[in-house]
Amino acid sequence: MKLKHSLATSVSLMAMLTANVALADAHMAELEAAALAEGMLTTIALPHDWCGYGAVIEGFKAKYPGITVNELNPDAGSADEIEAIKANKDNTGPQAPDVIDVGLSFGPSSKAEGLLQPYKVSTWDEIPDSIKDAEGYWYGDYYGVMSFLVNKDLVANTPADWADLLKPEYAGQVALAGDPRASNQAILAVHAAGLGKGAAAGADAGKAGLEYFAEMNKAGNFVPVIGKAGTLAQGATAIVVMWDYNALAARDTLAGNPPVEVVVPTTGTQAGVYVQAISAFAPHPNAAKLWMEYIYSDEGQLGWLKGYCHPARFNAMVAAGKVPQELIDALPPAASYEAAYFPTLEEVDANKVAVVEGWDATVGANVQ
Amino acid sequence: MICPSHRAGAGIDDKRPAEGLRFTNVTGAARMPDQTTARHRVRRRLPLHWLGLVPFAAFATLFLIMPTMKIVLGAFQTPEGALTFDNIRGLNTDLIRSAYWISIKISLVSALLGCAIGFAMAAAVVLGGLPKWIRGPLLTFSGVASNFAGVPLAFAFLATLGPLGMITVFLKTQLGVDLRALGFNLLTYYGLVIVYLFFQIPLMILIITPALDGLKREWREAAAMLGATGPQYWRMVALPILFPALLGTFALLFANAFGAVATAFALAGPAFSLVPITLFSQIRGDVLGNPQLGFALAFGMILITGVANGIYIWLRARSERWLK
Amino acid sequence: MMRVWSWGALLFGLAYFFLPLIGMAQFSLKARRGEYSFDAYAKVLADPQFQQTFSYSVVMALFTIVFGVLLVVPTAYWVRLKLPGARPYIEFITLLPLVIPAIVIVFGYIRLYNTSSWLPLTGSATGTNILLMMGYATLALPYMYRAVDTGLRTIDVGTLTEAAQSLGAGWVTILARVILPNVLVAVLSGAFLTFAIVIGEFTMAALLNRPAFGPYMQLLGSNRAYEPAALAVIAFGITWACMGLIQLVTRFSKHERARQ
Repeated sequence: MKLKHSLATSVSLMAMLTANVALADAHMAELEAAALAEGMLTTIALPHDWCGYGAVIEGFKAKYPGITVNELNPDAGSADEIEAIKANKDNTGPQAPDVIDVGLSFGPSSKAEGLLQPYKVSTWDEIPDSIKDAEGYWYGDYYGVMSFLVNKDLVANTPADWADLLKPEYAGQVALAGDPRASNQAILAVHAAGLGKGAAAGADAGKAGLEYFAEMNKAGNFVPVIGKAGTLAQGATAIVVMWDYNALAARDTLAGNPPVEVVVPTTGTQAGVYVQAISAFAPHPNAAKLWMEYIYSDEGQLGWLKGYCHPARFNAMVAAGKVPQELIDALPPAASYEAAYFPTLEEVDANKVAVVEGWDATVGANVQ
Repeated sequence: MICPSHRAGAGIDDKRPAEGLRFTNVTGAARMPDQTTARHRVRRRLPLHWLGLVPFAAFATLFLIMPTMKIVLGAFQTPEGALTFDNIRGLNTDLIRSAYWISIKISLVSALLGCAIGFAMAAAVVLGGLPKWIRGPLLTFSGVASNFAGVPLAFAFLATLGPLGMITVFLKTQLGVDLRALGFNLLTYYGLVIVYLFFQIPLMILIITPALDGLKREWREAAAMLGATGPQYWRMVALPILFPALLGTFALLFANAFGAVATAFALAGPAFSLVPITLFSQIRGDVLGNPQLGFALAFGMILITGVANGIYIWLRARSERWLK
Repeated sequence: MMRVWSWGALLFGLAYFFLPLIGMAQFSLKARRGEYSFDAYAKVLADPQFQQTFSYSVVMALFTIVFGVLLVVPTAYWVRLKLPGARPYIEFITLLPLVIPAIVIVFGYIRLYNTSSWLPLTGSATGTNILLMMGYATLALPYMYRAVDTGLRTIDVGTLTEAAQSLGAGWVTILARVILPNVLVAVLSGAFLTFAIVIGEFTMAALLNRPAFGPYMQLLGSNRAYEPAALAVIAFGITWACMGLIQLVTRFSKHERARQ
């Protein structure tokens, strides 16, 4: 009797699962057809060296050759992406972005401004709750920790911590990797500096970070230029504060010419999460949804992993054994991630407001 | 940048088409109206003639005048369209004031130095007794260099004077001079001046050479006959004559430097506090947090470059009087 | 004495100009650590984005030149022939692009021709390309007009027109087969200058988000170390080629006229 009961249960369970899978497959097929009908996807702010986006986009293009990927402004910061959505509200042309990849704090603020549309990908449940919006307007995609990228040709002693960067030997060498009024990377770098000074996470760390950079600017160590692999190698910015995945990717690009070192600061170790979202005014909403499905599939997530990022489904995928060992080994050491502080949504929000509004006034890094 | 070879013909006056030929025209029948319809013809001729300018007028209006007017008017409007001075007043922040000041400083200094050095080089070639064959290549090179602005120029200077640049490394390894330690940095206003001079000096050479050509040898000889020494000739004859051209070109160089965005952007990125770059970042990402501020910034730019170019045009007209 | 000063000024100036060019060339050869190599050039030329953006800019330049010639030559001719009184006003308009910075013009385009306006040019890739071409034509207008105007000055427009009309030519024939060949040198000068301008242009292409060569160079500049210097050498070579061609063409025409 019990056997029959359990057999029946398992059969119905199987049926339900198959039905679910069948439903999901049908949904995907529908989505693919609709996306192919639209024929184009407009992305923004996706540098090819960031989290291996170059390979991810190529993978998407290879899987769906009928969809042209129109890449806008790879150098855009998170605020630039939001502005692009706002500026193109009535525009259905190729300047209007379909999908955005912005810092965690930019997710809720854009949702509040009505700039996003909700969508839950098929692997929704494997994304940790703390980094996604319950209604599906935005969802975490990857994370990393803040680090320093150091040009060993120009810097004899590698700095180990935030306090080191204020030393006179690093005069005119330290730069942020973005505009602190628009780039999430730079805004969180300021926050991390504040954490390094011992302030509490959130608005306090934001203000402390601003004071830190004001001090650095006065000492003459700060370079008001956006630091990248190119400027680092050319010598204009010998030390750049950027995410570890960007630093590692830059190290690979430069291939030893010049030799660089990637350092995670001992205090003020901070992790940062980015989120994906679809624009409410997306000219190609189905292509956008298909893109989301792709990047949250195993293929997409592994693509990010190859770019040294920890994708959102990392823990679930490792538990399911979907991640090849070499990729795990190539990642930065897990120790820094254990020590890293993951700021909450409220904290990054408060920090963003403090930094964006206070940068010009407090630091005011102008041309001399 | 102004093409050199064509400026030489600046003095030739325009003459009306040879009217005397009209009555010998074979198709005179079509062209020679009889008296009764003469006035009719005259009245109808004018509009038809103006039609020929329609394509140009349409192009200029749609793609030059209207966009500019949109910006100028937008500087005085709220998002809803009401008239306001708030946007202009919003320019009065530390960041924007210092951006304007730095831009003006760089433009002034690079224009001044460009004038001085360009004048010296042009004078050396035209009046300085150098071999004649130097002039042609110098003018050609000036044409090239004055167009070599923008992104590649920034790379060239980074590769030369940047921290790992050729000269920096040479000075450090061969002469033990550390430019960095001495405080030299391309990303200061004087560093940018050095970069801007690369297209300012050639522009000066191109524009002032025809003016120097116009300095007649007879004046020099007459001055010598009256007992003037070299410096006196320059002080009392040549420079006063050249003055309008010099000042006018100075104004042109100033406007040229003020509007240049690509070079500085390539050197320093979107966060650099120069007016054109701030405007660029504002258009792209509203970094100043106020969309209307972009209009005001742009209006300020137009005002400054407009005044400078107005001076140039006025002075050019005056200088051409003497040098015809 | 004056000779010394002259030579001094000239050599100082030339040193200032040549050192960055040499520095740029030298830096571009240092891609391989410790030895000179053309690696940077190889990487750049093999980059598909380089090929895409460069060909895009070349095509845009050609379209701009054709449009510019079609706009400027008939206008300059007409003004010279029939409306000499309008010349100062036309000249003033052609000088406006030198007064109004390119960034302001493109800002105006973005605000004026978005999809909610009566001329929604930014609503499609083709529309934006057309807008960009108009922007380029505006930037090149002063030089094109001045070149063509000077060229027209040297020929007797009135006589040529009368003669052609007496032989029964219509306006198009006059322009295409009588006027244009005579001002070809001037037109070519303007064309080469336009080419140089369009290839290197950054601001308009960047703000209109078109895949042109200028934004590509800037992007590479921040992300790569040695390739930007290689690109700068290539860009300088192109500018030099354009100017050299102008000189060649002008000298060619001088010989022809002397022979006449």
